Amino acid sequence: MFDATVIEKARAEGAIIIGKTSQDAFGFGTFSTNVGLGFEIPKNPHDIKRACGGSSGGSAGFAALTKQTHASIGQSTGGSIACPASFCGVAGITPTYGRVSRFGLIDYANSLDKIGSIGKTVGDAALLLEVISGHDANDSTSLKQEKEEFSKLVPEKLKIGIVKELFENCDAHVKKECLKAVDSLGMKTEEISLPLNSKYGISAYYLISTAEASTNLARYCGMRYGLHEKLEGSFDEYFSKVRSNGFGEEAKRRILLGTFARMAGFRDAYYLRAMKARTALIKEFKKAFSRVDVLANPTMPLVAPTFEAIFKLSPLQQYAMDLCTVPANLAGMPHASIPVGKHENMPVGLMLTADHMGEGKMVQASLAVEALK
Amino acid sequence: MEKDGVVIGLECHIQLNTESKLFCGCPTAAEEPNSSCCPICLGHPGSKPVLNAKALDYALKVALALNCEVNKEFFFSRKTYFYPDMSKNFQISQYEIPVGLKGHLVLSTGKKIGITRVHLEEDPAALVHEAGMGASNFSLVDYNRSGIPLVEVVTDPDFASPEEAQDFLDQLTTILSYLKVYSPLTGTLKADCNVSVYGNSRVEVKNVTGKKAVGKALEFEVARQKRLLLDEREIVRETRSFDEKTMTTRSTRGKETEADYGYIFEPDLTAIQLSSGEIEEMKAKMPELHAAKSKRFMKEFSLDEYTANVLARNFNLGLLFEEISKSVDAKAAAKFLTRELMAVVNRSELDLDSLDLDSGEIGLLLEMLLSGKITEKVAKDAVVAYLAKGVKPTRFVEGRGLSKDLGEKEIEKAVEKVLSENKKAVADLKMGNEKSLNFLVGQVMRLTKAKAEPRAVQKIIAEKIRK
Ligand SMILES: [Zn+2]
Repeated sequence: MFDATVIEKARAEGAIIIGKTSQDAFGFGTFSTNVGLGFEIPKNPHDIKRACGGSSGGSAGFAALTKQTHASIGQSTGGSIACPASFCGVAGITPTYGRVSRFGLIDYANSLDKIGSIGKTVGDAALLLEVISGHDANDSTSLKQEKEEFSKLVPEKLKIGIVKELFENCDAHVKKECLKAVDSLGMKTEEISLPLNSKYGISAYYLISTAEASTNLARYCGMRYGLHEKLEGSFDEYFSKVRSNGFGEEAKRRILLGTFARMAGFRDAYYLRAMKARTALIKEFKKAFSRVDVLANPTMPLVAPTFEAIFKLSPLQQYAMDLCTVPANLAGMPHASIPVGKHENMPVGLMLTADHMGEGKMVQASLAVEALK
Repeated sequence: MEKDGVVIGLECHIQLNTESKLFCGCPTAAEEPNSSCCPICLGHPGSKPVLNAKALDYALKVALALNCEVNKEFFFSRKTYFYPDMSKNFQISQYEIPVGLKGHLVLSTGKKIGITRVHLEEDPAALVHEAGMGASNFSLVDYNRSGIPLVEVVTDPDFASPEEAQDFLDQLTTILSYLKVYSPLTGTLKADCNVSVYGNSRVEVKNVTGKKAVGKALEFEVARQKRLLLDEREIVRETRSFDEKTMTTRSTRGKETEADYGYIFEPDLTAIQLSSGEIEEMKAKMPELHAAKSKRFMKEFSLDEYTANVLARNFNLGLLFEEISKSVDAKAAAKFLTRELMAVVNRSELDLDSLDLDSGEIGLLLEMLLSGKITEKVAKDAVVAYLAKGVKPTRFVEGRGLSKDLGEKEIEKAVEKVLSENKKAVADLKMGNEKSLNFLVGQVMRLTKAKAEPRAVQKIIAEKIRK
């Protein structure tokens, strides 16, 4: 047994770990409704008939609920910090891929997984991010970096890019609240188009993330990890039995999808093509950041839906919910979700994205948005 | 196609002799089962691999020694399949761009064997069947082996006979020993052997352990396939295993299509980037390999090709020769090592790499022999005692009172005494009476209790008389 680097770092700064919260098992979900065996689905503190969002739903829900000083750790592969932060009305920060060590994180999709922070305020989230950031020799993908004091930043005037396509498929009220917030900032703005990201982001993301996830989940076969069942039959039969009984429906769906995407005959058309698309999508982002400091769009296309509505969604409709958060996650760009208003008495989140290692600007813009209240 | 119609290709997996494993700090050497493992090599959820730079360096050396093209950027891949010896159910290996591509190795016949690729990967854990594979109804897993670095060398299907494949393995292990990246005693060599005859279906004999076994497996497989053809039966494309007890191969799973490992890029590791300067620097630092060393021995010490090859073929023997030839005549040293020493090694089936031979000791022994202080028989016995029981040659010679070495001064003293006491014989000798010389030598031998070397005594007497 060992502690994750982020836990060690937080403890070293005097943090008190009070517990773990429910989430979508393995990070597979947008509403924290795919919780694993023995866990409860977290309910939105603003309306318990609604979801917290996911996959780090418990982290955001508890940050919104508690009266104590609190910051939560969350993990985002395709939007799992921003989404619940938006639904629960708290500040959620997802850093640049590699800024925070993943050592100790149970992998969903290693090339996309980012540990970040959630707080009642931008300042709280920024402070926790500051504490957990840093190069770690135990994680080969962690980046060499200077220590940055995000908690000491103040609002700054920056140039904001309004991402055209990511406003298009949103609920009209959500769109209105977000645009209103950006307007109120009184900063220079420019409309930015990300056609490739909005067209291919979701497909590329789900192919890459499930391909990686299907290999990560292979170890939960009953040999060393996963359930233990009565030992019977060949090892193939035993492993299949353990995996059939242990994995939930969403995990099975993603294992099947990911395994298919990387198998001979399909690998070129799906996995490899998605990896190439990812490079193109990063380029598109980089071009945008040559014009503006921070990009703005709604975090989620709607406010937190009711559980009743969620259970009627098809998997594809659920995946489509991640339209706005997926591009920045796929490109490894730092982004934050800040509460900007309400619709149906539920919080609306504005997402602010900066270039790689641009957390500083992202926090400055987030503080400015927060100050609007 | 060669005249026998035999086509063989090999995929060799060789354990590199790094101190720690490929992706964690666990020692590669361990006594107790499951005593050298950690969250990384056990595949704990949350653990992450960190590449052992030494292992990478070793693999690069192998690639360069096999004349491969080394890419400036390469990466690791995940090879996913389910098997109880793999804690993660995927192996971190290389797929699209390995450490090295398109190399070659020259056999002792001069034939060039193409190297398809050289890559680096982790060894899975070891499955232990205490009562033997067939009789056990359970398996034990030893994770000490999990994560040990392996270099995989894949050849083109260029071998026309089992002998050529055997020669290749000999050359390959010699190169690896020269590079100091492989320990033949502790490191395992395994090969997957692809065999076809007269253009018929290819059969793969998987997981053959050890050089000798590979030769035997190939011999059996070639003979089996040819016999099938004689009987006008079909050769089935299949995977077979080799049974070392019966020296036969047997079908494992019948017909098999290409396994599908669903490779993805290993997302926990970053790509490795080398500048052309770094690659050139590595090339410049490559040690002299056996072929070059053999040629140098022939030139530098005027050795014949056979002797030079024998000496260069084993890294330690070559080293021993070079050390000894600093103080002893090189040709005599070469002869002694390739004949006397190798005779004992071969007769007792010793492994030269496991022997810790002191060049100083062997050099002294050889000097004693050459100066006539000991007989050939004694020298041979001393070699046997040294190699088999570790008795140092100098001790062996002394311990048996066989050393005739009294030291020149003591011999001189004895000679002077004998000469002064035998004036007549001295006078006769001066007149040219050879018998008198023998008499005088005999007297010195008696006086020194036969501990002087007769030829040395003769020489000293001759010098004294001439004065
Ligand atoms: Zn280990």
